[in-house]
Amino acid sequence: MIALAMDAIIAIGLVWLALRTVRGANVFSAIIMFIVFGLIMSLAWARLHAPDLALAEAAIGAGITGALLLVTWRRLQVLEGSVPQVGAETRSLWLTLPTGLAAALLIAGLGWVALSLPAEPATAGELAWQRLPEMGVSNPVTGVLLGFRAYDTLLEMGVLLAAWLGAQVVASEHRPGALPGPAHEEVPLVGALLSLVVPISLLVAVYLLQAGGSAPGGAFQGGAVLAAGGVLLCLTGRLEAADQASLIERVVLILGLAVFSGVGLVMLPLGEPMLAMPGVWAIYLIETALLLSIALTLVLLFAAAPGLRRRL
Amino acid sequence: MPSEFLIGLIFLPLLGACLAVLPWRWSIRLGVFGGLASLPALLAALTLAVIRDGAWYYTLGGWTAPLGIRLFVDPLALLMLWMVAIIGGVAAAHAWHDFRPGTPAGARFWPLWLLLTAAMNALFLSADLFNLYVCLELVTLAAIPLIAMAGTATAIRAAMRYLLLALLASLVYLLGVALLYNATGTLDLYLMTDGLAASGGPATSLAFALIAAGLLLKGAVFPLHVWLPNAHASAPGPVSAVLSALVVKTAIYLIYRIWLWTLPAEDPMQGAVELFAVLGAAALIYGGILALLQERLKLVIAYSTVAQLGYLLLVLPLASVTAWQAASYQLLSHGLAKAAMFLAAANILHAVGSDRLADLERLDQRTPLSLFALALAGVSIMGLPPSGGFLAKWLLLEAAWREGRWLLLAALVLGSLLAAAYVFRILAAGLRREDPTEAEDAEGTSPIGRRQAAYALLLAVLALVAGFGAAPILDIVDAGIPAGWSAP
Repeated sequence: MIALAMDAIIAIGLVWLALRTVRGANVFSAIIMFIVFGLIMSLAWARLHAPDLALAEAAIGAGITGALLLVTWRRLQVLEGSVPQVGAETRSLWLTLPTGLAAALLIAGLGWVALSLPAEPATAGELAWQRLPEMGVSNPVTGVLLGFRAYDTLLEMGVLLAAWLGAQVVASEHRPGALPGPAHEEVPLVGALLSLVVPISLLVAVYLLQAGGSAPGGAFQGGAVLAAGGVLLCLTGRLEAADQASLIERVVLILGLAVFSGVGLVMLPLGEPMLAMPGVWAIYLIETALLLSIALTLVLLFAAAPGLRRRL
Repeated sequence: MPSEFLIGLIFLPLLGACLAVLPWRWSIRLGVFGGLASLPALLAALTLAVIRDGAWYYTLGGWTAPLGIRLFVDPLALLMLWMVAIIGGVAAAHAWHDFRPGTPAGARFWPLWLLLTAAMNALFLSADLFNLYVCLELVTLAAIPLIAMAGTATAIRAAMRYLLLALLASLVYLLGVALLYNATGTLDLYLMTDGLAASGGPATSLAFALIAAGLLLKGAVFPLHVWLPNAHASAPGPVSAVLSALVVKTAIYLIYRIWLWTLPAEDPMQGAVELFAVLGAAALIYGGILALLQERLKLVIAYSTVAQLGYLLLVLPLASVTAWQAASYQLLSHGLAKAAMFLAAANILHAVGSDRLADLERLDQRTPLSLFALALAGVSIMGLPPSGGFLAKWLLLEAAWREGRWLLLAALVLGSLLAAAYVFRILAAGLRREDPTEAEDAEGTSPIGRRQAAYALLLAVLALVAGFGAAPILDIVDAGIPAGWSAP
């Protein structure tokens, strides 16, 4: 009964938050609603017994995406000198009505077919459970991401690299102005806070990576947490935008893709198929490289800069 | 070892992209040469293997499907891979001048170009619906910044619009994939067919409808083409060439794969091919008329892409050997001719400083080679003999005639007439003479201009040669015909 009530609250809350996000009075409140939506969504995943998704949703969906949206809002403010409003033109009936109708139709269609779906489908996921022990890890999500469907994850790293390259192209053509420096630079507590929070973000990231073998966690969640530490360093003015990515930054950015491909290719001369994992150590090696690449990409996207340097 | 060639096609450009991210001139050069120049050799070996042994699968990581992901190479995949290697290679050679390694623009350009190449190769080889989603994402996210590299406000706006619509398309596609996985328990394109035959129902029909909607949007099929003209017309020349010749075809290729290979012949969603044909016919006429009304050369060519994609969908309900040959030939000849046109347009834009048709008088004196390339490619786009485009359209007419599809036949003829009209309009604009004084030859006198024109000319000549050098290509293509199409 309590479970049902909780589910109902989450479900109603999600719809209400989604509505508030779309219908927000201004961009800022819409962003806040979106972040809260992400947090509640992660609760929904937890209720559906998908802790990995819950972690990813909270860290990436709400955390990093929220930070990206907020920093974009701040930049728009600097650019336009005022709070951007959701203009009247975006509320035109011509756009709202067909979009709303199409969405309603889609939801109705999905709801209708959901009733006809088998409750316990016999999927490849069943097979993954059975053969998980061969992988040497006991977290099925890590097993799928780094083992059975490692190729997908590898190409996802390409997507991440493309995202950074794309941001670099746009930023070089239309350089976003530097944000005003933080007002609290001289406050001694900021340094104390950073010396506490940044090492903890590193610790949590490494823990999530290590735990990913047997419990919810892994490179993506760990990378997002580590990126949060980097975002904090940017926000407090400890790091600032550089005109160019340094060699080390470039190496870290391609590390995930290069190490993953390298480990995958190494087994070819030995007669093994492409992307056959030589052992559990290879999975951790790849995940470490992925974590570093993911974290740096996310921080650079947040800073909207090709590279970062220490502020002197 | 053919399987290593398969891996090389994906991983050489991918690792090349990694190298090109590094800041040195040699690393970028090594990345580009290793990732692009190696492709034709790998493909030649692969083609021989396919001719000898037929189509085959490669299991990644040793995890057999449905658990793992398979790659699949067959003649259709080979055709697309060859197009990536040749058209992409020539366009890259053209881009080499504007995006030199060692310049800031070059450092940003080549990693994206190599990622795009790797992603397209991966897409044409993938046999897994979810993996195809990842490939589609990578293709889109690598292509969009390349459009923005033009740097103009129009280009960035067009890139942004493309990004938003392409993401919507990806999500809709992914929703369909999730439903199919639930219904059949597998993501493998070719294992799914049995499951579909057993569990067809509203869920799978909705899934295929969603997948079709996503792919039609990504493939810029009328009326979902709104993002294409500005995106393709405002990108840098070599990027426009690859976008029109290859990137939009990835979505069309997937429609072919899913409807002709995955979907069981008796599935009710096979009826969608009639809708595809109607959209194709509409695209043919709408794109043709809009191309005729444009004032800028690159926009004419971009709308011509909207129209020419129509042929590729029109062929779907015809289901015969002739129709299959027509489709393959249209893929190939449109790719070559359209890339040639965009490269030539880039040269003209560079020499004249404008691509407004009103400013293009006396191109025969100012950019004779590029105008010639444009005309040759135009022959193939119009479908005049002896070009590859002629062969494609002739086969298509024959297929439509045999099936007695008179409306499609009428659309085909009208589409070709419109194509002739807009190509001649470009040529007429280029040959105008308002001022009796002689103009200076801007490209024949400079070595760079000559080289850039030669790349456009090379692709245009290939599109023409495809017309009479067709027999061996048709033989290979015939070997890869989808199951339902081989019956007379």
